Amino acid sequence: MLLGLIHADAGRGRFGGQRYEDLSHPSAQVGVVLEDASFHPGRTGRNHLRVLAAAGRHPDERVDEVLERVGLTPAADRRVKGYSMGMRQRLAIAVALLGDPRVLILDEPANGLDPPGIRWMRDLLRSEAARGSAVLVSSHLLSEVAQSVDDVVVIAGGALRANGPLEQVLGGGAGPVTRVRAAEPQRLGSILSDQGIRADSDAAGALIARGVTPDRVGKLAADHGLALIELVAVSRSLEEAFLDLTADPS
Amino acid sequence: MSALLRAEVLKLRTTRTFLALAGLAVGTSLLITTLVSLLTEPTGDSVLTDVFTSDTSSLFILVLAVVGISGEWRHRTITSSLLAEPDRLRFLAAKTLAFAVAGLLLSLAISLSVAVVGFIVLGLRDLPTPGLGELATQVGHNASVAMLLGAFGVGVGALVRNQVVAVVGLLVLAFVVEPVLIGLAPEVFRYAPFVALPTAASDISAGDSGLGGVDLLAPGLAVLAMLGWIAAAFAAGAALLRARDLD
Repeated sequence: MLLGLIHADAGRGRFGGQRYEDLSHPSAQVGVVLEDASFHPGRTGRNHLRVLAAAGRHPDERVDEVLERVGLTPAADRRVKGYSMGMRQRLAIAVALLGDPRVLILDEPANGLDPPGIRWMRDLLRSEAARGSAVLVSSHLLSEVAQSVDDVVVIAGGALRANGPLEQVLGGGAGPVTRVRAAEPQRLGSILSDQGIRADSDAAGALIARGVTPDRVGKLAADHGLALIELVAVSRSLEEAFLDLTADPS
Repeated sequence: MSALLRAEVLKLRTTRTFLALAGLAVGTSLLITTLVSLLTEPTGDSVLTDVFTSDTSSLFILVLAVVGISGEWRHRTITSSLLAEPDRLRFLAAKTLAFAVAGLLLSLAISLSVAVVGFIVLGLRDLPTPGLGELATQVGHNASVAMLLGAFGVGVGALVRNQVVAVVGLLVLAFVVEPVLIGLAPEVFRYAPFVALPTAASDISAGDSGLGGVDLLAPGLAVLAMLGWIAAAFAAGAALLRARDLD
């Protein structure tokens, strides 16, 4: 819907205030990898990119550049029907990168990639984000996503369930959670309570402080000359957070 | 539009289907020309029609255009095409132009080949050959018909997503339905787009094309009528394409 491929019942998605269909040079502004990226089986990888480079008004040199970037140069002149799933996925990523866009939208980008390929893809996305691009990844591989994203949006049943930095979403509504053990647990409990931080003891005698990061707890303890034995951030996995957020209330 | 046109022409050049069917079109045209010029005794009046109108480009470009647009759905490349050019009307217009250009080039290539072979064989048999002026006029007619059918094929193909249904339907319409309808009501179906109008636009007489008894339109009128068919097919195809979800 965001890309104008499916008609929306209501609402609109915009890029910099414009619908995708209205962008003056769409493939130079938004790069897209769809889950079921398809290619003409009889066309070579290079020719597939040449066609889309021509349609997107990108120079032919970009074809060689993106082929190199996704590691497909040696297979560029083979017909796509001989490509593995991973090679097809790399070709789809090359298409997305053709116009050197500042926005990347990737639907299940790790599909078909082997472990080194997944790591390559993760590094690629991080490098794109590091140079200022917005990278939107839609995926069901939550453990994979958790390793590479800054912010998470959880949508279920057509409704927004959570939206924010990864740590915040993992921490639930209370924000970050810290597990801390101190030489004087009662005194630490008082210090945290004085700061308005809610902390409960667990079975092992450690305090579980909610809405506070380990950094802050450590600093408070240091300010009061209190020795700490353990200080660690507690978080749910993204999968646990997703299941909690999307659970049917009934 | 020129970038899109270039992309569509590249699509044609980079698959074997186009090259194979274009080769087949040249081959069949040459075969017909060779056989006719070897086995018949054309007169000075009939040689142009008998030997130099065996240009099969119109049929092949029609099939290629239908394959070209329906192949976008078959191979699901329609998604990447419309991500590169989200304006579906411009996309379809570029494809229509590309197949018109392809029809023109294919027809010219066939005409050149047919002319070379026809002149050689007829010369060897010491039979009359057409004047270059009238041959050039016929080549122009053939090329314009191929252009029109290339454009028409894209509009027709845009109406049917399934490639097999599209191609088989096209062949049935062209070889079965339209000839039968022309036989039943020639005054109405002389405006039909697959056989009657292309024959008229090629300036080939009804008798020479197996449409004896049909009062074909003049070539200029036939071209105008074909343009009307192209506009109608394009409008219907564009409306359908714009309404479709690419799920």
